[in-house]
Amino acid sequence: MVLREKGGIVKKIGFLLVMFLGVGLTNSYAQISSDEVAEKASHVSYYQGKDGRSLAHMVITDAQGRTRERKMAILRFNIGETQEQRYYVYFHMPADVKGMSYVVWKHAGRDDDRWLYLPALDLVRRVAASDKRSSFAGSNFLYEDVSGRSVDLDKHELVDSDESFYILENTPKDAGQVEFSFFKVWVDVKNFVPMKAEYYNKEGKLYRIVEVLEVKDIQGYPTIAKMKASDLNSGAQTVAEFLDVTYDIGLSEDIFTERYLRNPPRQWIKE
Amino acid sequence: MFDKMINFALRRPKVVFAISAVLTVLAMAQFLRVKIDTDPENMLRENEFVRVFHKEVKKEFGLYDYIVLGVVNEKDKDGVFNPRTLEKVYNLTDGIRKIDGVIAYELMSLANKDDIRQGDVGEVVFKWLMDKPPYSQEDALKIKERALANPMFYNTLISEDAKALAIYVPIKEKNISYKVSKSIQSILKPYKGDEQYYLTGLPLAEDAFGKEMFVQMGISAPLAMIVIFFLMLWFFKHVNLVLIPIAMAMNVVILTMGLMVGLGFPIHIMSSMIPIFLLPICVLDSIHILSDFFENYAQTRNKNKTITHVLKTLFIPNLFTSITTMAGFFSLSFAPIPPVQAFGVFVAVGVGMAWLATVFFIPAYVSLMKEENFKNFGVTHEELKAGLFSRFLVGIGRFTVRRWRVVLAGTVLIIGVSFYGISKIQINDNPTKWFAKRHPIRVADIVLNSHFGGTYSAYVVFDANDKGAEVFKEPAMLSYIAGLQEYLQKKGDVGKSTSLADITKKVHFELMGADNAYYSIPKTKPAVAQCLLSFENSHKPDDLYHFVTPDYSRLNLWLQLRSGDNQVMARVQKDTERFFKENPAPYALTHNWSGLTYINMVWQDRMVVGMLWNFIGSFIIVLLMMTLLLRSVLAGLVAMMPMTVTVLFIYGFLGLTGKEYDMPVAVLSALTLGLAVDFAIHFIERAKALYREKGNWQEASEEMFLGPYRAILRNALVISIGFLPLFVSPLVPYNTVGFFMFAIMLFASMGTLLILPAIVSAHPGVIFYEPSNKFLRSCPQCLLMSLVIAGAVAYILVAYTGAKWNVASLAAVFSVGALSVVCFSVSKLRKCFLNKTTK
Repeated sequence: MVLREKGGIVKKIGFLLVMFLGVGLTNSYAQISSDEVAEKASHVSYYQGKDGRSLAHMVITDAQGRTRERKMAILRFNIGETQEQRYYVYFHMPADVKGMSYVVWKHAGRDDDRWLYLPALDLVRRVAASDKRSSFAGSNFLYEDVSGRSVDLDKHELVDSDESFYILENTPKDAGQVEFSFFKVWVDVKNFVPMKAEYYNKEGKLYRIVEVLEVKDIQGYPTIAKMKASDLNSGAQTVAEFLDVTYDIGLSEDIFTERYLRNPPRQWIKE
Repeated sequence: MFDKMINFALRRPKVVFAISAVLTVLAMAQFLRVKIDTDPENMLRENEFVRVFHKEVKKEFGLYDYIVLGVVNEKDKDGVFNPRTLEKVYNLTDGIRKIDGVIAYELMSLANKDDIRQGDVGEVVFKWLMDKPPYSQEDALKIKERALANPMFYNTLISEDAKALAIYVPIKEKNISYKVSKSIQSILKPYKGDEQYYLTGLPLAEDAFGKEMFVQMGISAPLAMIVIFFLMLWFFKHVNLVLIPIAMAMNVVILTMGLMVGLGFPIHIMSSMIPIFLLPICVLDSIHILSDFFENYAQTRNKNKTITHVLKTLFIPNLFTSITTMAGFFSLSFAPIPPVQAFGVFVAVGVGMAWLATVFFIPAYVSLMKEENFKNFGVTHEELKAGLFSRFLVGIGRFTVRRWRVVLAGTVLIIGVSFYGISKIQINDNPTKWFAKRHPIRVADIVLNSHFGGTYSAYVVFDANDKGAEVFKEPAMLSYIAGLQEYLQKKGDVGKSTSLADITKKVHFELMGADNAYYSIPKTKPAVAQCLLSFENSHKPDDLYHFVTPDYSRLNLWLQLRSGDNQVMARVQKDTERFFKENPAPYALTHNWSGLTYINMVWQDRMVVGMLWNFIGSFIIVLLMMTLLLRSVLAGLVAMMPMTVTVLFIYGFLGLTGKEYDMPVAVLSALTLGLAVDFAIHFIERAKALYREKGNWQEASEEMFLGPYRAILRNALVISIGFLPLFVSPLVPYNTVGFFMFAIMLFASMGTLLILPAIVSAHPGVIFYEPSNKFLRSCPQCLLMSLVIAGAVAYILVAYTGAKWNVASLAAVFSVGALSVVCFSVSKLRKCFLNKTTK
């Protein structure tokens, strides 16, 4: 397969983050179809390695310059070579929510399963994930930015490309499900990291930008180390830094169950 | 000198006209850079604490002033919750979002609100309440059920009876409300059907009022002029002559407004009333002249001679009335309220111009007319006495002279009743009530406030003393806030209140599986924090920060009131303070008030109460002027009688009929200053002149009945009838103007024609004395005078306690001082003047 020839990208993984893509036209310059670009970008963002962990540090800055912080450990596990994945998110900060955690079962072609644990109420609740475009813990990242938007949900068109980027325009197949009318993604031609995404509203006005600020090579995987989401409507923005990123650490699938919400896997979530 | 002025005008009318034409063109040119300010908030200085705080609160909590669009469906059995209406609402919301100046992101509508609710078993869902219009009735009812179950929406976005829903349209600035409401109206057009649409909200009321005020000025002032013109034509039967007061009034208004605009003052709601004030004052000045001209022309059949004679006879009263009126309005600007200051100064300036116009403009105008024009003009003395009007005047005149005891007893009775009425007066205001009951904004206000928790917003902002402790995450603190909300709700004035406590309770309840036992604040601080972080996983996490700052040191409690009345707001504030006193907060905190309803209460209170004080102050200043002019405190007091009775009666009437003493009333009270004293001055000055001529009051009074009485009554008729059309205006302040003109004219003329002659008959010496420079040597005079001066000084001191001096106030104080000196020296003139004219 094409993906495998491009340096084993298929096996690589990243998590957190944006961009996906699908269907499309071929581009004469790159000799690559728009769907391929979309798929590769999705893989680089969400599927590198068998599993992985990182410590995310988010700083949310509102329009008035007031800041809030979030610190959380994020664990990811791929179910073989499928699109299926498991996520575990454990909050370290703010202090009074320490121990709050999520388990997400990401499915292909159907709604994700999501469980939430609130230690102060000793409560595990299923949270509906039918709409993944809600805020991630009050930040300007959406759930979909964290676990990835399936490339099958959009039509992808390669609108432009140069020596640095493939530029994809992605239009949702079901416009009723999302608040944007389309989004554009700049995918790095060298490593397929989606460096920037611009979201346009139903009036065709740009209202949201997600951009990568720093990419590091970790264990041979191009890895997003720092990114920013800006909401042009509210004037707020969130910068997320990913520390201690490691791949292929040998997580076991049973961590990603309800039981582990009450008894977090200390070894993996420590700061 | 005066002779020279008149002669100049008579000989060189064209020069006079040329000068006035140039000035008028210059004044009109100023209108090119007119600035219009319709924001009544500007009654307060920009740096007033409430305004600064309101701005800060709006910024900090991301709040905007908003217009409320109400959608009411009374026809469908499920009210607005049917697919057709909801689809309209959905599309409308989309349309409104795109209007320029609307903060689309903060728009509050069912169609863009996120809801937290139960999903499948054991599942909690954050879902848009209505992300698309429902297809079926069943879907519509689901939306209804969910909306009613969410404390953030209930009674705010949808009404209890589900017949109405509201869209809150936040706007960038208050002063675009009217424009935005017009855009909304045009969007509404294709959505007519079973639904009724209503637009209201304080910013809209204020802005629309400002805009419509100008429109009304454009209709009312010319309409009044036309009516006045025809009334005068009926009296004097001479078109060209009757045009004089009209032309003069227009000229004075243009010059005054031009000067004001040219000096960089914005035309504020308050100053847009200047033409309405100047118009009757100009007419008043000129009708006395026309009246005398009309009656004297037949004797000489020479227009120039007649006008010179008339102007000389009326010189003193006209000058005196102008000076007192000017002093009265100048002293209005002692108030520390910027628009009132500008208003006072420019009305005073206008009055001065009106006086100049009577001296130059009228003789110039008359001299340009041809003598043939006056062929059948005027009446002879005999004709005068014959008319029905004259017999009526002589009748009441003789009655007051003979039965002065009855008249005075009646006066005392009226004053007594008035005082009783004044004791019942209600001080209250509400900008929405400046619109007549049939006005769409007022209708919307009534309808929507009967359906919802209230369209009037006020905010109580709490500051924790310990900034670092995240006090507003403490369960005890949230329960305390919830307690206050419950308390206020019970008191009845607050229709709905929303705070962080409501969000916490709702999230807690839904997380705990919608178990009613958990509709409460969680027991620990981490539990509160975790509920709130769960809320932040919604589509609109920012909504949280409308109610608390991210550091949890400041909390905003949103109160919705069904009425914007100052009294209601004041009651809510008092109830809140009582709650704080009776229930100490679990953590140390301070609080402050914000929101348009609150700001309105502050400025209207200041305005209404301030104007009341100002009015009393102006009264004292005018009394001081009168005393100086008449050189007797007693005569001064007598001259103030008609005005006093007028004011007392008007206020008493308001009290008795239950009409509230609001801002328009407060402002228009000042009109009495400009109009009511004038009659008394004319009466006293003419009585004195005639007394000097005839030697006794009996004979003098007989002459009075015909000349001055006629002029005064004509004035009263012309102005009270001239302003009657204002009663049909959709703006209440214009009705109030109509009422005031009517009441002032009626009472001031009656007061002058009944009370003054009765007082003079009782004791002629009160006004018939030799004016003396040494009048202050008499002990009682001296004592009274000191009282008057002490009153004036005290007033100025009170008005300026804590207030800053500015150009307007300095100018006003200086002008009043200067006018006092002028008064005193002018009163000296009288002797030589009268000697000259009577010869």
